[in-house]
Amino acid sequence: MALQKKICMLGAFAVGKTSLVRRYVDSIFSDRYLTTVGVKIDKRMVTVGTAEVSLILWDIAGEDDISQVRASYVRGAAGYLLVADGTRPATIDVAQSIQQRVEAEVGKLPFIVLLNKRDLQSLWSVSGQDIVALERAGWTVRMTSAHSGEGVEQAFQTLAERVTSHP
Amino acid sequence: MSTPEPAVEWLDSEPDQAGIDRQRLAGLLFELARAINRDFAAKVPSLLPADPRLAELRTILMGREQALLARLARRLDDPEQLAAAVSQVLPSAIVQAAARDERLGQVLAPTVERAAESSIRRDPRALVGILSPVMAPAIRRSIGEAIESMLQSLNEALKASFSWRGLRWRLEAWRTGTPFATVVLQHTLVYRVEHVFLIHKESGLLIEHVAADPAASRDPQMVSGMLSAIQDFVRDSFADHAGGEVDAMRLGELLIWRSDGPHAFLATVIRGKPPESLRERFESTLAQIHVERRHALQHFDGDTAAFPGLRDQLAECLLKQAKPRDRRASPILWGFLFALLALLAWGAYAWYERHQEDAQWAAYLRRLQAEPGIVVTGAERRDGKLYVTGLRDPLAVRPEALLDGFALAPAKVIGSWSPYQALDPAFVFKRVQASLEPLQTVELRLEADAVRAYGSAPRHWIEKARAVSRLLPAGALALDLSGVQDVDMTEVERLRASIEAQVIRFDTDAPRPAPGQEAIIDSVAAELRALAELARSLGLSMRTTIIGHADATGKDAPNLALSLGRAEVVRSLLRARGIDPDLLSVRGAGMLEPTEEGAVRDSSRDRRVSFTIRISE
Repeated sequence: MALQKKICMLGAFAVGKTSLVRRYVDSIFSDRYLTTVGVKIDKRMVTVGTAEVSLILWDIAGEDDISQVRASYVRGAAGYLLVADGTRPATIDVAQSIQQRVEAEVGKLPFIVLLNKRDLQSLWSVSGQDIVALERAGWTVRMTSAHSGEGVEQAFQTLAERVTSHP
Repeated sequence: MSTPEPAVEWLDSEPDQAGIDRQRLAGLLFELARAINRDFAAKVPSLLPADPRLAELRTILMGREQALLARLARRLDDPEQLAAAVSQVLPSAIVQAAARDERLGQVLAPTVERAAESSIRRDPRALVGILSPVMAPAIRRSIGEAIESMLQSLNEALKASFSWRGLRWRLEAWRTGTPFATVVLQHTLVYRVEHVFLIHKESGLLIEHVAADPAASRDPQMVSGMLSAIQDFVRDSFADHAGGEVDAMRLGELLIWRSDGPHAFLATVIRGKPPESLRERFESTLAQIHVERRHALQHFDGDTAAFPGLRDQLAECLLKQAKPRDRRASPILWGFLFALLALLAWGAYAWYERHQEDAQWAAYLRRLQAEPGIVVTGAERRDGKLYVTGLRDPLAVRPEALLDGFALAPAKVIGSWSPYQALDPAFVFKRVQASLEPLQTVELRLEADAVRAYGSAPRHWIEKARAVSRLLPAGALALDLSGVQDVDMTEVERLRASIEAQVIRFDTDAPRPAPGQEAIIDSVAAELRALAELARSLGLSMRTTIIGHADATGKDAPNLALSLGRAEVVRSLLRARGIDPDLLSVRGAGMLEPTEEGAVRDSSRDRRVSFTIRISE
């Protein structure tokens, strides 16, 4: 069995977490689980160096802000994807809150911020300066589009590399 | 032009210093100038739209009201002020409006609804937060009740007897179209452990997985994540943070057990109904894994290479227990088979019985037919009984007696016989025999042409035989009585003669018989008895007269008395010997009937008792 890592998908409501994983992961569970159980487990295989790594993705439904991120979901995670919506700057604030809460809960973990919905150019409202500001704060920001697939593969790859090298 | 300069400048300055409206002041001064200088007034028209004096007057008269109006207008125009003013009266206004009628509610309802809707859409948790204290206990209770009722129905089902379950399976087989045997197999598998997952407790990552049927398992890594997630979900939702784990989940026939260790838990997917002891088995395996691989478990970071040999250890948990295929179903099946066999055996036996009975019945009927004096006219089987009808000579063998040789229950055979007379020679002979009283002296013989009687017989017997002979049907054998002699009257005569010949002697003047006469009396008594018997048998009446005699030596009268006395004595002697006194009468003859007339009289011979017997038809 390959190396496995638990990865959480976190972010504000309707930022496209589920869409991000839907087309790029192996899934045996239907999206219905998100509304019924509130969580859905997917798997993404990536290759880091010579090792195969299974990213076990915990997609948690209906998380609107930090108050709803259950500690038990995040516990044991090797890293997480923090998803925000590039057309709604407010979701970046939510992401920041979540990040702080997670760090308080389980300590420092590798994470990558995904600014999703890159394909909606006309509605895009996060400026380059904003991104620079985030990166200055130590965040790794990737612009992705679940719709076109832009940046998604790389984001998973980057996170996989981080979590495998993380002690 | 130098003088107006300061004035103009003053006019130009701000009005707030003195509170004077300079514009108006200038206008007034201009008008004043026009009033003073008529030429000027004629050349320059008035700047005022109306007479300023009127306005002045208005100011003087209405100044306060104007100021008030202006303040009100300012307040109305400024949203801040207006809001402040309305907010003061709004609560009481709402109270009054609501008290008056329902219009306020109707007007506000759509707005409030929209507001609530948008609020929920924006943040549903607010509503959830409000409702959850109310809803959560209700949901919890309802789940509890559902589980309880499920347990109860399970208990009911368990309580139900085999037959119920059997019926249910049969119904299920019929409903699902699967063969009954398959359904029974499904149900009779006690349990089978289908999957064993060893899952890291903190991360929900799969450490190892084994399956009874590897082809049927889906991605175990995802399944194990989901198992952890669902348990987290259930615990967070319902357990009130009271700790503990969800140690069992059930989905139809599938049961998922969780056995907990410090670092990892064992999730086992079991089909069927495992015994509780199986859980102990899992827990001991888990404990062993924790002891042996403590370090690896403690530092698990998703690398399963740290657990060599774990697979085999887990594979030991893939237990199953199948029930012997038919043990459960056996009571019914066996019962059914037994009933079927019993039915078959009974049928065969009944058939054999019937067959046997038929054969016996036919034989019995043949036997009856062969029996003289019995004519079978009909036979049938009805309601399990055997009916035979016919004719039977009363002298024939009883048909029931003939049953002895046959295996037929006497109670089953019902005969209905009409009497008749059979004309077989044997029967005629029998009938004649039965009709005549048996006599030692007569022998009846069945000869070719008649029944012949030989020997001697009393007359009445002969007469009765003749009557019998006359009753015999014409054409049948006749009774020939020619060989029978009538023996009765000769005997009667002989006895009478013998008795009348007897004489009992007496001594002179003695009323009692002389010595030595006892033997004669005995002999007379014996013969009298025989005669009486014979006479009675012949239907004759008999009378014996005992006659006393005296000799001629005395007087007549005493002799008469003496003779009567002698007769009485003899009568009592005979009576003492058992002769019926009614048959005996006495007479005293005195000396009138001497034995020998004329000749030399031996007087001793006259002292005697003699007998006469009269016999009549």
